[in-house]
Amino acid sequence: MNARRKNRPSQQGGLLSSPRMLLVLLVGVAIVVAALLAVLSQFGGPQGSSASGKEVGELYSGIPQKGTTLGKGDAPVTIYLYEDFQCPVCGQFSRETLPEVVDRSVRGGEVKVVSEPLTFIGSDSVPAARAALAAGEQNRYWPYAHLLFENQGQENSGYVTDEFLKSQAENTPGLDVGEWSSDLKGSSVTQQLQAAQAKAQSAGVNATPTLIFSGPGGQTKLVGLPDYDQISQSIAQVD
Amino acid sequence: MKGRQRGIRFVLGALAVVGLLISGYLSWVHYMGVTPVCVGGSGGCETVQTSSYATILGVPVAVLGLVGYSGLLLSALLRGEIGVYLGFLLALVGVLFSAYLTYLELFVIHAICEWCVASATIMVAALICATAEVYFSGTQTS
Repeated sequence: MNARRKNRPSQQGGLLSSPRMLLVLLVGVAIVVAALLAVLSQFGGPQGSSASGKEVGELYSGIPQKGTTLGKGDAPVTIYLYEDFQCPVCGQFSRETLPEVVDRSVRGGEVKVVSEPLTFIGSDSVPAARAALAAGEQNRYWPYAHLLFENQGQENSGYVTDEFLKSQAENTPGLDVGEWSSDLKGSSVTQQLQAAQAKAQSAGVNATPTLIFSGPGGQTKLVGLPDYDQISQSIAQVD
Repeated sequence: MKGRQRGIRFVLGALAVVGLLISGYLSWVHYMGVTPVCVGGSGGCETVQTSSYATILGVPVAVLGLVGYSGLLLSALLRGEIGVYLGFLLALVGVLFSAYLTYLELFVIHAICEWCVASATIMVAALICATAEVYFSGTQTS
């Protein structure tokens, strides 16, 4: 038996004739495959094709996202953020205040934010909101919405074109653009949009941005452009 | 010697089955869109599973785990040197990639998923078994 085994290597020849060479080859292959997987994983990671895509990836990296909800599901305080993607003050809030709220209150699990996209400014608000909700189908609502606000144009100027929306989708880290295009036409997005309008009506929201804070201590509302201190006080009030 | 090798293959196969259960559960969680059960309720699993690193080119990392552990199980069932070296290759790739994922959890995502830690530990144990198999296979043929 042993004699037969001893003869086998010389019969095979090449790399397999030396177990040590074969091991070196396997280690090399393993390193290349693992490195390839690591590199490919970066394409789904926090990076986009633009600088703003990268920033957005970093801002939301590591924070749970589900649909239009940002933050841990069991966070004690919920902020319902009523906003219109064409609204300039909403854009200012998203660019200037929201990142601080995300870093100081959402990341730690104290607060979750639920976006309620409204479409009262004009007809262009509808495709913008639908596009963000379609990104939400892949749990990428927040980075997409952030990019919409980062690249916001003049209200009702017609800047919300299909090309514009697709460009934001391409810059959204981790978003499958093909799937997003298909979700954009789906009835789920329509239902979510209608639900947000109905919710705003029943909550008496008539301006954007409106922030409704809800927690074990009750509810409170802020309208306009609050700074982080006002938001922090409202969180403490309902917590 | 053969009895010892059989024992190692059995352990390798058992580790692959446990790994399949873990990656199967995480794949199910991914496709069902539910929150994974996290020991201690820290929410780390949810954070890791919903991070942008949870998929590679649209394929969930958990599904890659399913493929890897299936290969590992196959290597434990295969007779001869092909099984030995296939197990070694898969376990080494698994350990290297798990090390990278653990780095992401600690320094990029800032959250730890216990399921991922368990999978990484299984991969390390599988590599120890696979290396032992290569060693005993070498001593038998030399």
